[in-house]
Amino acid sequence: MRRCDAGRLELGEGLEVLAGAVLDAAPPGEVVEMSVASRSIAHDLRTWARLAGHEVTGEAPGAEGRWLVDVRRGRERRVLAPPLPDRGEPARLRSGRFHTGDWRAGPPPDVADPAAGFVPLGAVAEAGAPAFDWPLSRRDQVWADGLDRLVEGASAAQWDASRDVPWAEAGSLPDFLEAAVCQVVTFIAQNEYAAYYVPARFLGAVSPAYAEVLLWLASHVHDEARHIEVFTKRALVNGGRAYALASAERSLHSLLLEHDFTASALLLNVLGEGSFIDLLEFVADHAPDAATAAAARLAHRDELRHVHFGIAHVRRTLERDPGASSRLVAAVEERAARLLGLTGMNPAVTDALTVMAAGSMQPAQLSEGARAVRSLMRRTAANRVARLLDAGFDQASARRMSDLHTPNLM
Amino acid sequence: MSASARPLLVGAVAYHPRVVTVWEGFRRYFGDRGLGVDHVLYSNYERLVDALVDGAVDLAWNTNTAYVSADERLGGRAQILGMRDVDATYATVLVARSDDAISCAPELAGGTLALGSRDSGHAAILPLHFLAAEGVALSRVELLRFDTDMGKHGDTGDSERLVVEAVARGEARAGAVGDATWAAMRAQGLPEASRLQVVWRSPTYNHCCFTARPDFDSELGARWLELLLAMRYDDPELRHAMDLEGVRRWLRGETAGYEALRAAMREQGYLG
Repeated sequence: MRRCDAGRLELGEGLEVLAGAVLDAAPPGEVVEMSVASRSIAHDLRTWARLAGHEVTGEAPGAEGRWLVDVRRGRERRVLAPPLPDRGEPARLRSGRFHTGDWRAGPPPDVADPAAGFVPLGAVAEAGAPAFDWPLSRRDQVWADGLDRLVEGASAAQWDASRDVPWAEAGSLPDFLEAAVCQVVTFIAQNEYAAYYVPARFLGAVSPAYAEVLLWLASHVHDEARHIEVFTKRALVNGGRAYALASAERSLHSLLLEHDFTASALLLNVLGEGSFIDLLEFVADHAPDAATAAAARLAHRDELRHVHFGIAHVRRTLERDPGASSRLVAAVEERAARLLGLTGMNPAVTDALTVMAAGSMQPAQLSEGARAVRSLMRRTAANRVARLLDAGFDQASARRMSDLHTPNLM
Repeated sequence: MSASARPLLVGAVAYHPRVVTVWEGFRRYFGDRGLGVDHVLYSNYERLVDALVDGAVDLAWNTNTAYVSADERLGGRAQILGMRDVDATYATVLVARSDDAISCAPELAGGTLALGSRDSGHAAILPLHFLAAEGVALSRVELLRFDTDMGKHGDTGDSERLVVEAVARGEARAGAVGDATWAAMRAQGLPEASRLQVVWRSPTYNHCCFTARPDFDSELGARWLELLLAMRYDDPELRHAMDLEGVRRWLRGETAGYEALRAAMREQGYLG
């Protein structure tokens, strides 16, 4: 017979924890002799055992005033699940770090039970939980190769928009230049809102079985929130104001009309944020003040990750699904049809970019600035095609999609 | 409507909102197995017993006190169609302050005993009966009664909480509470309970049971009991309702465990 000395433990003060653990470890029907400090505690143990589904089969005084209570383990399980497996191999640490790529023994499941709930990786699910209904519960719908490295990168690259930008160095620009910078960063902030809302809408749709995707989307949304913050702060820091342009809104609004995860990744991550990489690089290079340059550089680093995800996800989709290419081209065409009224980037933005790059209203510098902006637009188009090819589209499709892409850049 | 299509009507007392969840769960369980069961909730056990005796319900989920009342009115021929595992070995405990020298029931003489609702079998009627049987001179014991939630027969546990608080404050030397209520108060860490200890435990007795009239269709009764006993705590569909009802296994139940209460109710004038 198993024996357990409960010391001076009482009910409500740990006795039930010890008794529960000892009885859980015993097979149903086995009797455990519990030694408790008094008859009163023996009374309490008897009642606890009855309510917990066990049975007291004997009770007798022991040595030195103690009481011995025989408890027969009940047959019901406390948790409605098979017994936990034995401890497995410990996780592999690299230089003391536990990388996300090392937390699974194998690949994630191709199909996750759409009804399964919040079951952390490795945990055994108890029966009787309510049924969920995750719209995205197949790996192909959401996965990207190298996702674990992207997640690691996102965690490592977090920054603080209040502290990590030299705000004190944003001042003392002449009014015309400050106005141009304000219009540029306000335009960027507008676009960052869309980059926030698009992934945010998928946050609650992905099955918890794909935890890496949850980590990824959360970091993506968090990045965009910080971009909204940093570019809004740049506009406000010197008291300047600029327009939130309706043409940009029209373009961004059409992004929210797309409900497919992969099509959204193509439109936002590959095409939109891809174009923004070039724009942010341009702003970082031509900004007339250190604060604007730092903000653009920090955001640029984040956008590289987002674009990388989009390309990797679309590439994986195209590799596995031959019909995906035409569906994705159709999604680009459909968006373009909604944006027929947009014939080019809003002049308020191109003008502001030109003045910012010129740093002056003198004709010679303005001419330099205009040349730089035209060069940016050419570079953006060329890089867009290159990214689409990298994602796995053929030459013709890549060119067509790039041509159809919104002149708003995002 | 044919007789077989009429659902079996179970009456219960709504002593807590969770009773609805319990009976919706059980109704689904029986229905899925081809036995139509519906429930009617009453606010007190006296009305439930009336409904059973008058034939308004087929089965009553009764406290032990309600069962004895119904059985008396049915000529001692009421049927028992199931009880919980926890109902089969119920007990009452007397609790006293841990720093009090009292160590057994007879030492109560000359002191005050706190009791729960006077219609509670476990917190009022049975402790008086068992203490008298053990020779406690009840004429020399002052009773401090907490008659809250009358009609619920102590189901809510409110009066027992008042009993425990009164003993902890020193207004009574000891108090009578159901052992299950006591264990729950201890396990929840109720501060007053942590200052008290059990000084006496009553003999065990039966508590709640499903009660039917003597003329209740025996075939229907057998089918009900068969399905009731087949409920498994390990069934995910049932676990929530069974947890709320505090049952892990259903038992057939028998009448012998109610004789002490019948005697007590007769002594104390509850049976006319």
